[in-house]
This record gives sequence, structure tokens and C-alpha cells, in this order.
Amino acid sequence: MHVLMLTAALLCATTWPAAAANETLKIGVIGPMSGPAAQWGVEIARGAEMRAEEINAAGGLKIGNTTYDLRVIPYDHKANAAEATTVVNRLVFQDRASYIVGNSIGATTTAAQTITEPNKVVFLFVSWGKQSLGPQYPYSFRETFSDVEVVEPFYRWLKEQKKINTVALLDVNDQSGRTTGASMVEAAKALELKILADEYFDRALTDFYPLLNRVLAMKPDYIDLGSVPPGTAGLLLKQLHEMGYRGTKGWVSGAILEGAIKIAGPEASDGLLAPWSANLEGKNTPPAVKQIVSKYQKTYGEPAGNYVVDNYVALDIVTQAMKAAGTTDTQKVVGQMAGKKFDSAWGPIVVGGKGTYGVDHQFLRPITITQYKDGQMVDVGSAIPRDLMGK
Amino acid sequence: MFEAALALQALINGASVALVYILVALGLTLIFSIMGIINFAHGEFYMLGGFSAYYLAQVAGLNYVTMLAATLLAVCAFGFCLERLLFEPLRAQPLSGFIASLGLLLVLQAGASILFGVTDKRVNSPFPGVLHGYGLVISRERLFVMIASAVLIGLLYSFLRWSKQGLALRAAAQESEAAALLGINVSRVSGLAFGMGCALAAAAGALLAPVFYVTPTMGGQPLVKAFIIVIIGGMGSLPGAVAGGALLGLLESIGPMFFSAATVDFLGFGAIVVLLLVRPTGLVKS
Amino acid sequence: MTWAGQVRSITGFLLLASGASLIPVVTDDFYKIDVATTILQDLILAMSLRVVMNLGLLNLAHVSLMGIGAYVSAALAMRLGLSFWLTLPIAAGTAAFMALALGMLTLRLHGPYFFLLTFAVMSMVQLFFHSYLEDIFGGATGLIGVPRPNPIGFGGFTLPLVSKVSLYYLILVFWILAAAVLIRLEYSRLGLQCAAIKQSEAVARAVGIHTIRCKLLVLTLSGFLAGIAGVFFAHSRGVINSSDFGIDPMLKLLVYVVVGGVSNIWGPVVGTIGFSIASEFLRSFHFLETLLYGAVLIAVMRLFPEGIAGALQRIFATARPSPVPSHAAAGT
Repeated sequence: MHVLMLTAALLCATTWPAAAANETLKIGVIGPMSGPAAQWGVEIARGAEMRAEEINAAGGLKIGNTTYDLRVIPYDHKANAAEATTVVNRLVFQDRASYIVGNSIGATTTAAQTITEPNKVVFLFVSWGKQSLGPQYPYSFRETFSDVEVVEPFYRWLKEQKKINTVALLDVNDQSGRTTGASMVEAAKALELKILADEYFDRALTDFYPLLNRVLAMKPDYIDLGSVPPGTAGLLLKQLHEMGYRGTKGWVSGAILEGAIKIAGPEASDGLLAPWSANLEGKNTPPAVKQIVSKYQKTYGEPAGNYVVDNYVALDIVTQAMKAAGTTDTQKVVGQMAGKKFDSAWGPIVVGGKGTYGVDHQFLRPITITQYKDGQMVDVGSAIPRDLMGK
Repeated sequence: MFEAALALQALINGASVALVYILVALGLTLIFSIMGIINFAHGEFYMLGGFSAYYLAQVAGLNYVTMLAATLLAVCAFGFCLERLLFEPLRAQPLSGFIASLGLLLVLQAGASILFGVTDKRVNSPFPGVLHGYGLVISRERLFVMIASAVLIGLLYSFLRWSKQGLALRAAAQESEAAALLGINVSRVSGLAFGMGCALAAAAGALLAPVFYVTPTMGGQPLVKAFIIVIIGGMGSLPGAVAGGALLGLLESIGPMFFSAATVDFLGFGAIVVLLLVRPTGLVKS
Repeated sequence: MTWAGQVRSITGFLLLASGASLIPVVTDDFYKIDVATTILQDLILAMSLRVVMNLGLLNLAHVSLMGIGAYVSAALAMRLGLSFWLTLPIAAGTAAFMALALGMLTLRLHGPYFFLLTFAVMSMVQLFFHSYLEDIFGGATGLIGVPRPNPIGFGGFTLPLVSKVSLYYLILVFWILAAAVLIRLEYSRLGLQCAAIKQSEAVARAVGIHTIRCKLLVLTLSGFLAGIAGVFFAHSRGVINSSDFGIDPMLKLLVYVVVGGVSNIWGPVVGTIGFSIASEFLRSFHFLETLLYGAVLIAVMRLFPEGIAGALQRIFATARPSPVPSHAAAGT
């Protein structure tokens, strides 16, 4: 009797249809997760993971008749182009991911594209450089401002509001640094600002006294920290302050301001202008962003930087496009992204940029210029990227 | 752009960091002189010193000088154990010892990344603020670092010159077999030498922690600089390390006034190549 | 160094080569083929590094020789439009020449000085490609869009070399050639001279062996092979950067060779394949992988410094019954 009951129970257990398991949709993330730029990669990965978790907790991503559980697969490419091709190969051929949401460091983006494009893998990144977008890269998108969107309006604002005439431009001697430097020079020249110094240094450098000694002797009105990583920015600010510089200073790509401010100290950081980084805790910050930030702080015990929100939003927009397309087929999803407008935690985002890149693959929204003043980030101005004007 | 004030400022800048690199180089050359081993993991002890400063001084709030003393003792003990367990058995094959030190580098760096995390960490300086005078500027923390380094170098010198253990160390460095015959416990002396060498690197890391920041990869640059200094001054020569460090500090501060950063590095390595070919024992007669 | 040894080597090599040629037949997982391609490329590098290290020369500039091969071939192909089959010998030849120059300059140095000098040379080469002659070598950005090897054509039949599988067979052919040369070297007169130098350089010289010339020849050969690996690296990836030829990849190669075993020709094979496969499993663990590499290095140096292959050789040698009475063999 007991045996029969047991057998029946077992039969029921094995043949009863299991709670409909969702299919898995794999989302790859790559980035520098070790070394000097590690914070960028870690934030990018966590941003995607946060959004994925939310979607899964709400039951999954429903596209057409199928519901998907998102699975984020992050890999560290150590800021190295060869390593980037290896991990992207793994994502595309072994993990079979058709979407890579998030990457930083220009050289690795270029390396990754040699695999993602021929294999029709949708690839979103934060790295800068005009050469990364274009008609030859139909599956690539940039999910946040790059030098093109930020530098020109910011420098215009600087000239008008801060009466800047001479500039000194600093950056890291690598692909990202060089492209940013070129943008800064181009924008400065167009505005007829005098470029007193245009310096590149090794990524691992920590003692900037010799370099700054030379730069400060020329007495620039404005010093830009270009696209240096947060630790380096902190050191530059600190050493500039020690050497007596009290002029205007900006960090065009400033992505993790707290990281830099922590290293430099509040006094040395005071007055820093950051056009790229939006204030995540100001009075103008959208409530949705504040929610993301506080959740991040709770989950990881660290303050969130812009990259967290950017990649969260990027994954969000990709899933919205999938829903609009009714499929996860990358070609159709791309069609639902290029040139379209989306609602996001940042507010409305337009995927445009045809004027600059030849394709509408650049996420655009208004720029807020923030400044670190008296221990706090304040909004001091705003500007519109050229490609967003009139949209 | 060559003015006297600029050059003088450059020299002051150079001196503050050079003294610390001399500490690291002294550690490296001490180890080489006693054990004939090139410790590729040397930069990782610098890094450990930095984290020691972070956890003891910044997080736990320990007094800075106490923290320095604790770091020196702890790392010395750690280095002593490492030498006994790892390097002493490999004395006969220097290549194996070198490769083992490479393994140690990987273990320490990866271990630190796992345990401490990759985010750059700040250490508050016990001496904030900046001093001005005659149009020149120096931060008080850098001044403190200069003085502390000089004190440590002085202590090392007196230890080696006048203490019994120091004499034993020097004897073992010069002629280990003869030293053993004289009753000197050469193996314990080796352990002590290695421990001291690592402790010097750690002290350097702890001293520079507030000036820059602390992160698991911070040992790479000091290692390269230490090697350069030791090559210039001569492997195994302590006065050579001091002279080499001074020269490097000078070149690094004056160089950027004339050349781009890349060219400074390139010429630096080129000079090393030339030096090794022409005078491998270093510029300083030992 | 015996006939038996040579036969064993050739047999092993043939087995490995046949096994490797079957991989694309057995699997069509592109990622696995990719990993196998990288392994074969690294094998060429590791095996050529080993012959140099076996002579006591720790050449940290080995990765620079690879880089020279890569950059020269890529630049010639991209700037002058030359065919891969022309740039390959030119680039590998340049690397060989640089190796020769390096040797001629430095072989008077001993022990730590040689390795320190090669470290400085490696840094200089890396800096050079990173910061100078940007129009030719791409500067900090490196070179993007290095073309695939030109199709092989003979008698109206052309074989394109674009797909992963075709590139795999290309590197397999390169590896077979490289391994054949190295095995031949091991048992040739030059190889015997090298073995003598390894045993005792002073005695070798006394017997009339021209030690410097042996070392130069071996160094030049290793440069040529490293150059070939570099050329393949550039044209199969399409993207090269100065950071691909720095201290990190060099240390990786060093680990492969040392842990595998320097004295045995199969040492680097064991090291490369072992670590590459382990790396695939550890990829999600970031730092744990590095930690493991370091721990293995330390363990191997402490427990069996002759490497895994060397240790295995020792075990099998003692296990095999000796034709000579044991008390006489114990001395070896």
C-alpha cells in the first residue's frame, strides 16, 4: 500500500509539468575589472546586473509569446585588446550571447567589434572615439556621451560663462586618451582658445609634479583632466592644489567623481567642473536615478557612479527595443533602436547622431554641467549636444 | 622654459619621491647582496606596506609612527618566514629562486585584489597642508616622507655599521663561507636580510600611501624604478643604491622639462641598456 | 640524447600533430577551435623560448621579437599592400635579425645582467611601438584592420584563409614546421653542443665548442620562430596593440615553459596546454586564476624545479629497469 502511494507520488512529481521555466536570454558584459580602470568595469557590470535582476524578479522579460530570464555574463578584459578578443570570442561562440551591453576602453571596443559585427551581435559601449560608430558598424551603439557630444558644448559654456582664453589639456597616452585629446584640441581651436599645453602621460604614472611644474609655468586659465581614470584624476587634483593652482579646472570625462574626490580631498577638489557626469544626488536628479543609486549603495556598500546608471539604462532600452520588435533577433532589434526615442531613468533619450557618425546609434540627452563646491555637487549649467538640437 | 626657480622646484619635487625609491632600492640590493636572489616580488611588499597604512592608520586609527613601526616588524617577520620556507632551499639555483619570486608576485597581487578589493583607497596624511617659501612649494606630507626616509636610511646604515647583527650581515654578504666558518649563522642571517629588505619596501609603501593612493597594483612602478636604481648604482652596493636613486630622482624631475614623458622613459631604458653593456657592476665603485 | 630519445620525440610529435589536425573534424564549436588556435600559436612561442632558456639565457625580450614580427608584417601589409606570403618571411627575418643583434650585444653578460638587459630592451620595444612612428605603427591605438592572409593559389586552385578553421590549419602547419625544426635541432650537432654547454660551459669551451656562436644561432632561430608566431597573431586577429607585447604575456610564456620544464622538449607543450585549458575553466574567477598561477609556480620551483615534464622523465627513467647494475646507475 505504502509502496503504491510512494510510486504514485513519484510519478506525479516527475510527470507533473514543472512550473513553466522561462527561457534564458544571455547578456554579455565586458570591461576592465582589474587594474587602474577596474572601477569602470565593475560599475558597468553591476549596472546591468541590477536591471536584469529587477526584470527577472518581476517575472521575466516578455517578448511576443516567450518570457525570458536575463542572465548577465561579465568578463574582465583587463584593458587589453587581445584579451578583449578572447573574452568576446567566448561570449559569442561558447556562451552564445547575441547582446553585449557595456564596455569601456576604446582599444578594446575596436578589438571586440572585429567579432561582434560579422556575427551580428548587438554591442553597446561607453568608450569614446568617433571611429567606433558608423555605417560600417550596424550593430554597435554608444550608450552615453562621448567626447563629441560633451566637449564642444562644454567648452562653449566655459568660454561664455567662465571667460576662459587659454587652456592646458592633459590625458593618458592610450587610444581613449588620444581620441579625447583630439576632440579637446578641435573644440578649443574652433572656439579660438589658445592651447598652451597638450600633454599625454603613461597610464600608471602617479607623480605629476614634474609635468605640472611645466604646465603651471605657462599660467593657463583652464586645465582639463581629459579622460583619465578616477585615481589619476584624484592625484592630479591633489597635486595641482599643492602646487598652488586655484584656477578653473574640469574633467571632461569625469565618470566616478567620488573616487577622485576621495583621493584628492574636498579642498583640492573644490571647483572641479564635470560636464559628463550627471549629479546623482542633486535636486534636479530624476527620482528614478536616485532610486537606482540608493539601491546600489545598499547592495554593494559603495556610492554609485554614472556608469552604473548608464548601463542600467542601456540594458533597459535594449529590452524595450526587443519588446517593440517582438523578437530577440538582433537585426530587428537594431531597427527598433536606431533613430528612436525612449523613456528611461534619465528621462527621454534619443538614439541619434547621424550628423556626426552617419548613423543614428548614439544615445543623446541634455548635458548637465556639475561642479563640486563646498563639499557638494551642484548643477551649474546645461548644454545640448549638437546632434540633439532641434529634436 | 628653463628658469632657476622652475629647476629648483623640480629638484625639490624629485627629492621627495626619490628618497622613497631609494628605500625600495636599498631593500632590493640588500637582498641581492646577501642571497644573490633578484626578488621580483619586491614591489608587492611595497604594496603590502601601503595596505598596512590603510588598515592600521586610516581604518583603525592607529598613530602614524606606531603604524610604521608595526609595519616594519610585521613585514620583516613575514619576509623572514618566506625566506626560510621558499628561497633558502632554492639557493643553489638562482634561476629557480627568481621564478619562485615571480610566483610570489602573482600570489601577493592576486591575493590583495581578492582580500582588499580593487577600488583605490585614500590614506589621510598626518601632516596636511603646504609650505611656501621663496616662490617654491612643498607639501608637508612630502616633507615628512623625505625626513622619515632619511631617518630610516640612517638607521639602516648604523645597524649595518655598528650592530653585531649588522656586522654578521656584512660578513655574510662578502664571503658567506668564511662567515660560516667564523660561527655566523648564515641561514638566520639570510632570513634577517630578506626580512629587512622587504620591510624597507613596506616602509616605503606606507610612507607614500597618503601621498598617492593604495591599490593592489601599486607595486609595479616602484619595482621598475628600484631595478633601474640598483642597476645604475651596482647590484649589491648600498651606497650605489643611494647614488642611483639620487640620479634617477634628478632625471625624472628635470627630464619632463625638456622631453615628452614617453621619450623620458625610452631614454631611461636606453641608458640602462648602455650601462649594463659598458659597466654592469654599476657606476659606483663598491 | 639517444636514438631512443629521438624516436620517442618524433613519435610523440606525430601523435600530437595528428590529434591536432582532427580537432576541427571532431568539433564545430568555434570557440574551442579558437582556443586550440591560440594554444598552437603559444606553443611556437613557448618551444622557441625554451631552447634559449635551456642555455641559461632568460630572454625577457622574447615577446618583443613576436611583436616585431607582428608589427612589421602588419605595417607592410597595410601601408604597402604587400601579400602575407611576402610579409611573413620579411617580418620573421626582421625578428631573427633583431634577435641576432641582441645576442651579439649582450652575450658577454652573465646571469642576472642578461635578464635585466632583456627586460630593458623589452620595455624599449614596447614604448617604441606605442609612442613613435605613429603613421606607420598606429601609436597608442595600434593597428586596426590587419588583413587576413592572402589566399594560397596554385594551378588554378585557390584556398582562401579567412575562416576560423582555415586559420587553424595554417597555424597547425606553422607549428608542425617549427616543432620539426626544433626536434631536429635537439638531436643535431648544434643540439649536442648546446647540451654540452648546458652541462658545463667551461668544459664545453675547453673541448673546443664555440659557445658564443651556438648561443647566437639558437637565439636567432628562436627570434625567427617568435616572429612567425607574431605574424600569425597579427593577421588572424586583425588588431594589434603595443600592450600585446609587454611583461604580462611574457610572464605567461615564462610560466608555461618553466612549469612544463626547461630541459625537456615536451616541457613547454605540457605547460602551454595545461595552463591554457586550466585558464578556460578559471576564466570567470578573475584573480583566482592569477593566484593559482603564482601558487603553481612556487610549488613547482620548490618541489620539482625541472618542471613537470622533467619530473616525469625522471620518474620514468628510474622506473625503467636499468641494464647496468643499480649501484652504478645510482650515481646519475
